[in-house]
Amino acid sequence: MSPVFSHGMLRLYLLKLLDESPRHGYDVIRLLEDRFMGLYAPSPGTIYPRLQRLEAEGLVTQSQEGGRKVYRITDAGREELRRRQDELDELETEIRSSVHGLAREIREEVRGTVRDLKQELKQAAREIRREQRHENRSRRDWFGDYHRIDPHDDPQRAGAHDADAAGSRLEGRLREFHAATDQLLRRAYLTEAQLRECAAILDETFQRIRDVLRDKR
Amino acid sequence: MATWKIDQPQKLTFERVRRLRVRTVRGSVSVVGGDEQPTLEVSELEGPPLQVRHDGDQLEVGYEQPWWPGPLGWLTGRQRRHLAVVSLAVPRDCEVDLEVVSSSLMVSGLRAPVRAKTISGEITLAGCAGQVEAETVSGVVLAHGVAGDLWANTVSGDLTLVEGGGTVAAKTVSGTIVLDLDAAPVSDVRLTSVSGDVTIRLPQASDLQVQLQSTSGQVASAFDELHREGRPALRTVRGRLGTGSGRLRASTTSGHVALLRREDEDGEPR
Repeated sequence: MSPVFSHGMLRLYLLKLLDESPRHGYDVIRLLEDRFMGLYAPSPGTIYPRLQRLEAEGLVTQSQEGGRKVYRITDAGREELRRRQDELDELETEIRSSVHGLAREIREEVRGTVRDLKQELKQAAREIRREQRHENRSRRDWFGDYHRIDPHDDPQRAGAHDADAAGSRLEGRLREFHAATDQLLRRAYLTEAQLRECAAILDETFQRIRDVLRDKR
Repeated sequence: MATWKIDQPQKLTFERVRRLRVRTVRGSVSVVGGDEQPTLEVSELEGPPLQVRHDGDQLEVGYEQPWWPGPLGWLTGRQRRHLAVVSLAVPRDCEVDLEVVSSSLMVSGLRAPVRAKTISGEITLAGCAGQVEAETVSGVVLAHGVAGDLWANTVSGDLTLVEGGGTVAAKTVSGTIVLDLDAAPVSDVRLTSVSGDVTIRLPQASDLQVQLQSTSGQVASAFDELHREGRPALRTVRGRLGTGSGRLRASTTSGHVALLRREDEDGEPR
């Protein structure tokens, strides 16, 4: 158990998270991860039993919603939280005054800045690529750049050969993707939250591919 | 010389630390440069105790047994027990050398050389003015305000370097590279990727000799001063910006390369 949560502080923190709003167990885990990055990496094996214990104490209630358990704080839970608010505040100051707390804040700060900027630049790069691809296309008679020509965009040049080549390239990529992802999954121990996230990414990817193909028709 | 065996979360302080060496396995290692007394905080620990050695001005943190499990040994899971969350405050001129298996690494506020190496962990660098060497296989590298010379290498992790200056040498196989250069005088930037995309953003006024190329990816540039070469494929962009006192080179095999221009303060595009 993390020293941060010695003296039953994790219990209080769980109550605090549930006081903000009712949550699924995996929401709780994710939030703990977010707020105590690096310091405390909660696993379902630690969190679920604790939630159950809180339920047994009458501090939270649990109900099934859409096949998942949702935890809610009770009045008794709120009372307990209010009674020990000072301890909770102390915990948060402590985190801030330690080297670790400081390091974590710096890391969060950098992560945030870098993530935003990365998104912005990647978007800008996509735009400029699209722009210049069109320019290149209009010049290709002089420069002969036939690479990445989409036959659908240019019916005059759409040869069966080009379409086949593009198709087999894509198939190759798909196989590589499958192999690489498979390897990653084999190696990792997945939490429920990670599993859901991965599934969501796959769904989204499929939808976007479908949208792209639909546009081209 | 003094040694400690740490088997539970603990805090130690030291008189003088000029060199730091950390060898751990899993968890995280954070090093923050500052003016306070050198401090070591171990806030989480699982598995064997950590060995701390302070000799003169050198501080070492690691395990008694050889920490390195040998080729592929870390895959067998034997090292999974070695978890340590370690945070250190050191003087800004302390040399830092970190080498871990899957821990994430964070180094900030140092002027001295930094070496950070992990296999699957993430590396975060903030405000480092000395030479920085960052190496990870599958983790990402995030660097913010690394003004010193930066050498970064990953296999599949993304490299994102923001507000950097000095010399940058970044290399990856399948990760992407995103570099946002500051107006600071840049001496030499060299970016290499096999299949990941490379995106570079420069200030409006830059003094650089530029060469961007890709074997099969697309090369795009927002600077009209630069011209395309390499017929018939148009996959090299070359030229001089401003006085051309610095150098910027980027090359990929199949990844795309994009060179962007930062908008002015008043929002004037390009």
